[in-house]
Order: sequence, then C-alpha cells, then structure tokens
Amino acid sequence: MNGKRKILKFTFNKALFGIWILIFAAIALKNPSFLSAPYIINVMLRNIVEIAIVALPMTLIIITGGIDLSVGNIMVLAAMLGGISAPFLGAGGAIMITLFTGLVCGFVNGILIAKIKISPMVATLATMFLFLGLGRGISKGGSIYSYGFSEFMGNTSIAGIPLQIWLFLLLAALFVVILSRSILGRALYGIGLNSDAVRYAGINTEKILIGIYTVCGLMCGLVAFIWLGRFTSIKYDAGIGFNMKVITIVVLGGTSINGGIGDMKGTILGTLIIATLNSGLTVLNIPIDIQTIVQGSVLIIALISYAIINERTKRKTVVKINEKEELI
Amino acid sequence: MINKKALTSEAYLGLFLMLILAVLGIWAKGFYSINNVISLLNAYSYILIASIGMNMIIITSNIDVSTGALISVVCIVIAAFGKIGLPFGLLLPIAMLAGVILSTLNGLFITSLKIPAIVATLATTQIFQGVLPLVVEGSIYDLPASFTWLAFDAKLFGMIPLSLFMCLIVTVVFILFMRYSRFSKKLYAIGNNRTGARLSGINVNKTIVQTYAIAGALFGITAVIIATAGQRVTTTMGSGLEMTFIAAVVLGGTNTAGGSGRIFGTVIGALILAVIAPAINYLGISPNWSDAIKGTIIIVSVVVSTAKYRKRKRKLCMSAE
Amino acid sequence: MRKRNLKKCMAALLLGALLVPSLLGCSKTDTTVKTGVDSKTEESGKKEVIVAMLPKFKGENYFDACKIGAEEAADELGITLFYDGPSQDQATNQKQVDILEGWIAQKVNVIIVSPNDPTAIAPTLKKAQAAGIKVVTFDADAQEDARDLFVNQITAEAAAKGLLDAAARDLKEKGYGDSQKANIALVSSSGTDANQTAWQAAMNELLATDAYKFMVIKNEETDVYFPGTDETKVNSECATLISRMGEGEDKIQAAIGLSSMATPALGAQYQSASSKPNKDKVSLTGLATPNALKTYIKDEGNPLNTGVLWNCMDLGYLAVQSGYQLVTGDITSDSSSIEAGRLGKKEIHDKMCVLGDALVFDVTTVDGFDY
Repeated sequence: MNGKRKILKFTFNKALFGIWILIFAAIALKNPSFLSAPYIINVMLRNIVEIAIVALPMTLIIITGGIDLSVGNIMVLAAMLGGISAPFLGAGGAIMITLFTGLVCGFVNGILIAKIKISPMVATLATMFLFLGLGRGISKGGSIYSYGFSEFMGNTSIAGIPLQIWLFLLLAALFVVILSRSILGRALYGIGLNSDAVRYAGINTEKILIGIYTVCGLMCGLVAFIWLGRFTSIKYDAGIGFNMKVITIVVLGGTSINGGIGDMKGTILGTLIIATLNSGLTVLNIPIDIQTIVQGSVLIIALISYAIINERTKRKTVVKINEKEELI
Repeated sequence: MINKKALTSEAYLGLFLMLILAVLGIWAKGFYSINNVISLLNAYSYILIASIGMNMIIITSNIDVSTGALISVVCIVIAAFGKIGLPFGLLLPIAMLAGVILSTLNGLFITSLKIPAIVATLATTQIFQGVLPLVVEGSIYDLPASFTWLAFDAKLFGMIPLSLFMCLIVTVVFILFMRYSRFSKKLYAIGNNRTGARLSGINVNKTIVQTYAIAGALFGITAVIIATAGQRVTTTMGSGLEMTFIAAVVLGGTNTAGGSGRIFGTVIGALILAVIAPAINYLGISPNWSDAIKGTIIIVSVVVSTAKYRKRKRKLCMSAE
Repeated sequence: MRKRNLKKCMAALLLGALLVPSLLGCSKTDTTVKTGVDSKTEESGKKEVIVAMLPKFKGENYFDACKIGAEEAADELGITLFYDGPSQDQATNQKQVDILEGWIAQKVNVIIVSPNDPTAIAPTLKKAQAAGIKVVTFDADAQEDARDLFVNQITAEAAAKGLLDAAARDLKEKGYGDSQKANIALVSSSGTDANQTAWQAAMNELLATDAYKFMVIKNEETDVYFPGTDETKVNSECATLISRMGEGEDKIQAAIGLSSMATPALGAQYQSASSKPNKDKVSLTGLATPNALKTYIKDEGNPLNTGVLWNCMDLGYLAVQSGYQLVTGDITSDSSSIEAGRLGKKEIHDKMCVLGDALVFDVTTVDGFDY
C-alpha cells in the first residue's frame, strides 16, 4: 500500500507537465534557436500573458459551471476607454477608467447570471456583442493608441523578465491559494457540483458568483494595459477569438466545462503547453493556420483522454458500490 | 395555459419587430424599396436556414460553435466543384452532403465520448479552420457563371431570388416537422430530461447524432447561398456566423438549457438580426454602432423572457402547493 | 479515490504519447507542403539571403499576384522567399506582429511587409531593424522611421485621380455634371490601412476642386463603408449600398471601391440585385485586379465598366529586388535610384520608390491581363 501511494502521487498535473517537457524538447530539437532564453522569455511567455491572466479567473468561473464569452471584448472596451481618456485625464485617470470599465462589465455579467438567472452562456454571449459594439462605436472603427502607462505595462522589464510575467506569477500564486486553500475555493467547487446544496448550507451563492465574474472583468481591465502596450494600438475586433483561446487553456488544464472539477495548476500548465506550441510552431516556420490545427488536435486529444478517465472512474465507482452491496 | 403564455412571448417579439419596421417606415427613407427589401431578405434567408438547424441542436440541450468554420469548409468544397463548372443542381446536394458529414462528426464526437458540446465543437472549430489553408491558399477565385447562377440569375418571376424561396420551403417544412413529427418530440424530451428520455426508451445518442446531421444539411444550404454571392470564395466565408445563429435562436425565445423553443420564434429572431445592419445604414447611423444595438436587443429580450419564465415557474409552484 | 488517480495519470501518459507524434507529424506534413522553399535552403547552405514577405492578408487575387512577382524575383536572384500572412478575416496588426516575431527570431535578412496599421506595427519593425534586419514596406506604408524603404505602387494623388477620373468620365457620359450633381459612396477597407486612408484624403482634396465638384460625399458616416476584409461582410455591405443607388437626391449615383475586395463585390451585388438600379444612371468603379472584374466589365447590363489598378506582379518583383539589394549593399536608404532587374531603373525619393501610374482598364483592354 505504501509503495502504491508513492506512484499515486504522480498526479495528472505532473503528467501534463511531462507532456509540456516533451513538446518543448521536440521543438527545441528541430530548431535549436527556440532554446534561446530571450526568445522564451520575450516572445513565448510574453505573448501568452494576457490570455494566461484571464484564464485564472476563468478557471474559477468554469468550476462553478459557468462560462464567460465576453472576456476579449471587455478587454478591448477597457483598453479603448482608457486610451481615449488618457490625453484628457492623464495616466491616473486612464488607469482608473480602464480598471473601472473592466469591473463594471464583469459586474453586469454577474448580475445577469446570478440575479436575473440567465444562463451564463447566453448572458455573456449577449454582453459580448454589446461590449464589442460599444468598443466599435466609441472608437468609430479606428485604432486607439497606446499611452505612457500602458507602454510601461507592456514593455518594461524587471531583472530581465518583462513586468507582465512577474504580474502573472503573482496573480497565479494568489489564485492557486484562493482555489485550493480557502473556503471560497471550496464553495466554488460546491456551486459547480450542486448549487442548491451549497445555498442551503447557508452560503450566499449569488454574491460569490457576482464576485467572480467581477474579478474576471477586473482582470480583463488589467490585461488591457498589457495588450495595448504590447501592440501599441487596439481595434474593436482585437478581442474576437480571445474567449475561445482562454477557454481552450482552461479545458486543457483539466477543468470540466460542466463544473465541479478543476485545478488552477492545471490551467497554468495548460498555458505553458499552448504557449510552447504557439511560439514553437512559429519558430519551425509552420504557417499560422496549421498552428490552429495543432492546437485543435491537442485539445481533442486532451478531451478524449479526459473522457476515457471519467468513464473509467465512473465504472470503478459503480463497481465499488456493487461490491459493497454484495457485501451487505 | 402554458401554451398560451408561450404564444404571447412570441407575440411580444413579433410586436417588437413590427415596431422596428414601423419606425423604419417613417424615418428611413427608401428602406422599403423593393431592392433593399429583397437584398435584406436574401441575407435573412441564409441566417434563418442555419438558425433553424442551430435551434434543433439547442433544443436537445447541446450547442454548436463550429458552425461558422463548418460553413467555411463547405463553401470551399463547393467552390472547388464550381470551378470545374458543376451546375447549381449538383452543388446544392454536394454542399448538403458535406454539411451532413462534418456535422455528424461533431455529433459522434459529442455522444460517443460524452464531451460537452461546447468544448467538443470548440475543438472541431480549430480543426475545420486549420484544414482549409492546407488545401487552398486563401481563396478560390474567378469562378464561372454557373457558380454564381443562384445569386445572379435565379429569380422567380424575374424578381424573387431562389434563395428566398428555398428559405421559405425549409421554414415551412421544419415548422411542420417540429410540430407534428415523433422525432421532434424526442428532441424536446432529451432537452428536458436526458435520463428520463433514455429511460422511456429513446436512443438518446442516436437521436442527437441525427439532429446534428439534419442541422448539417441546413448549414450546407446556408453555405451555398453565402458562397455563390460572388466569384470569389475565401477560406473564412462563415467565420463568426455561429454567434449570429445562436443569437437568433436565443432572441427567438429558445432556452439554451434545452427542452423548449419553437422554430417560429427563431424566424422572428433571425429577421430582427437581419434588419439591424441595413436599417441603421438607412437611418443615417454609422455602421459602427450596429453590434452595440444588436447586443442591447439580445440582452433586453433575454432579460424579459427570463423574468417571465421565472414568474411563470413561481406561479406554477404556488398553484401546485 | 487513489486508484482513480492512477488511472488518471496512466491516461495522461497515453495522452502524451499520442500528442508528441501528432505534433511532429503535423510539422512534417508542412515541410512537404513548403518543399519548394526548404529544399533550396538546404542545397545552398545557410548563408543564403532569406527574404520574408508579409501581405496584409493571404489568398486574394491582388496579393497572390504580388506573390507571383515576388517569386519571380526570388528565383532570378537565387534567394529564399518566405511568404505568410493572416487569413482574410483576421487581417489585423496582432496577427502580423505574431508572424513577424517568428521571423525576427529566425533571423531572416529582409522583411517585406504591407502593414494593416502603420503606427501599430512600427515598434515591431524597429525591433527587426535593431536585430539587423532590413525592413521594406510595399503596397501600404508604415511609420517612416520604422522602415528602410517604401516600395509604393502609386502616389496617393495619382491613385485618387485615377479613381475619380474613371468615375467622373462614366458619370459625365450618363448625363451628370455641374448642372446635375452626383452623390458618391466609397467602399474602403478596415479604416486603419495607410494606403486607403491616404487615397481617401487625396480624393477629398480633389473633390473640392472645380473639376470634380459635381461629385459629392453627402454623409461621411454612412456613405463611406468600412467593411474590413471579410468576404461575407464585404458582400453584405455592398448589397446594402447597391440598394441605396439610383436616381434622385437621396440616392447614390456612383460607388467607388477602394480595395481589391470591395470592387468585385460591388459588381457581384449589382448582378444579384433583384430590381437593379438603372445602369444608365449609376456608375460603379474601383480598384481590383482585371481578372476579378472581367465578368462584370464584359457584361453590358452591368454599370461596372472600368477598373483601376497597377501591375501587381511588378510590385512584388520590385519589392523583393529592392529588399535584396538593401542586403547586398547595392542600394541604401539614401540611394536615388535602383536597377531593378527587368523593370529597369526606378527612382527613389525620400526613401520611397514609386512603381508607376494607375492603369485603367475597360472592356477593350481587360483581356490583355492575366492576374
């Protein structure tokens, strides 16, 4: 039993980690220029940071059985309002407005879902159109350009590592703790598994739901600076497809879209895998379209294996119950 | 009693549509010119045909976010056949077949591996999108006149585009189908209570795959209308359309949780969405506001219908007590 | 519970085993797709010049024609050409930056780019320059300090004049003029492209002059369309525009397509309109490759009679030639002319090399082109 226990500690996350190493090694073997530290830090990690940061609160949302399709457009809207106000209000005002926009958008999602009880997909689908449209209307379809603070957020390095990566590390640690070590984290799993039961246990589920959607919006506001700084401009359509990229990472990390199952560390590993694939395939000079196929295949393989696992565990549990019944 | 309520919910939507159309009649000069109405209805026809397919999928409590990419694939397939001069009469069945095959793959993927539809179709979206550029670089162009026949020449009475006529047939057939066929009863049963449906002897997986197959045929028809609009077919003809289809279904009062919803609601929902873009151009509003208006309309209608649904539920609970 | 974990990690290992070959398999299939390029690199060793070309988007008559010219130049010079770009519905700055970053990491020698957004792409281009890569813009310009040379197909003034002349001639034939004004509409691209923006500005200037005064853009908000580069969207917005055309004050009499996607769409949507506006009273024209307009120009019943363009293949050819010569040192940013292979000598002013004048084609000349 003891020996077995040791093997058992080799968890799913470690397997994901192994896969990441394998992909990484395969790409590095094919093109050694991939292995340069500046490339890995300044391109591979820097390019995924926006998606990675939003994936953290998205993991919480998906664990509760929800989803947020509007994330990319919240980011764009926040970046735009900040960029437009920067010349008038200065950096301080722009920062406030960007974060506030994210917060409000997330809050609206939360209210629609928790209070009015619209299903998360429909609610965020509708707000997705709304935020996209507001961004488009306000910017008149043109580009909004970067300003001092976003420039700083997007292009500063501390100790040779871009600021946004430090930021991600900090947030990742925070979210890992929230999900795995706090009462709130346990409540989130509870809501995903059986919302009614949690509510009867005296937990205010509505408040929690509004809270996590608001946090998600706030994070979108935060990455708005980084995105705007990194690309120096933003257009209303920049957020299209962003939602699916975030969801891909979360699902790849082992979080069940049905809620109740999931792990923040898995999401982080999922981020690394997608980052490596994206940049690695670019280095191998594989056209950008084929990268989509590879990503799709990775997701499918992950889904299939999760499905197999779930099926087996289910069968196992059934067998166990049967055994018990026989014993009785 | 429930029936009556559901009817009024659609009636509200219909009234709302009437209101929009009346406003347009007063303020948008020239909106009701035959030319504009027909071109609007042409866009409407392809949105509606695919939305009906989407509606069936959503009734079973599933969803398909790969529709846009799927339509892009079908567009390229028929463009390849169109390039060698195949007539419309062959292109349509080819498109429907291609749609059925791809959509059935989605269905099988969802049912056999028990993967939630949204994630499964998210993955296939990426495959569909990625496969195209392997086969064609960007677009197939300089297509012959036989290819654009549907858009350029196929007019009934020299006036009504054939695509609109196709849409009418599809709509009528499916309204009747969803109302009277035994198959449709299965869809609602599955959407309402999957386990219950299985226990009552419905082959749930088979039915879902069949639903996806039927929807695939409809997506194929939509693809034909989109593809033949010009002499060039790109690899991204359908991208983003899935959200419009889902929006039309949701706007039409179908709950994404499944088990409810009628084709007639979708008919109105799709029309509202199709009217918005040209309407604001005629009203002199910058097209940049079209998405915001679309979003607002969807939110309002969803909030209203959810509120009504909850009220009804509460009433039912109370009367039960 | 623990047994579940065991199963989990076994399945995860299985997943890994499946994943890696599929990844390698994918990259393999791709090398076979691109063998033309790859085998060449291997043959002549690594010191060869690599030219990387990035269009606004891939797969459309216009940029495909540019690519043919670029390939011709690359073959002639014996250099390697990379060609990649965003797909049409994603013709955005982000996608271009993603591709560029990959190329910078691979240390290509020259980057030839047609930016979707001139300001937004500048930092990335500067990064390339800092890495010792020569940067050439073609088709559309970037910020001036972010590139070594701009290969311009046509000056904005010449393009605007070519387009307005084509429309004016047609309108005058149809009875419009100083006594009867004509409302015109423009179908641009996405709103941030440097060339369309410059052309539109030049057109506005020309419209204020006496010769073109009879043509009016009534409402900039609704009469200048920015459908982007997505085919379905371009088609549906052009359909709305066509339905607004016809005789009378509140209708539009002429539509000019400013992108090679918009103009054929105008022709196609006119063709498919049910009650067509009178072809003797409205006019359609714009930029597009001759092949894309052939059908409509030849069709008597379609008011699209002329198209405007330049030689795209020459544009691609000239871009690659000048990029190569920047690397070899045959020319620098300060040179006043370039000896561009089959095109002969082309002048360079202010780091800009102009290909030539607008080419107007109609029913008599359209068959003479094949791109």
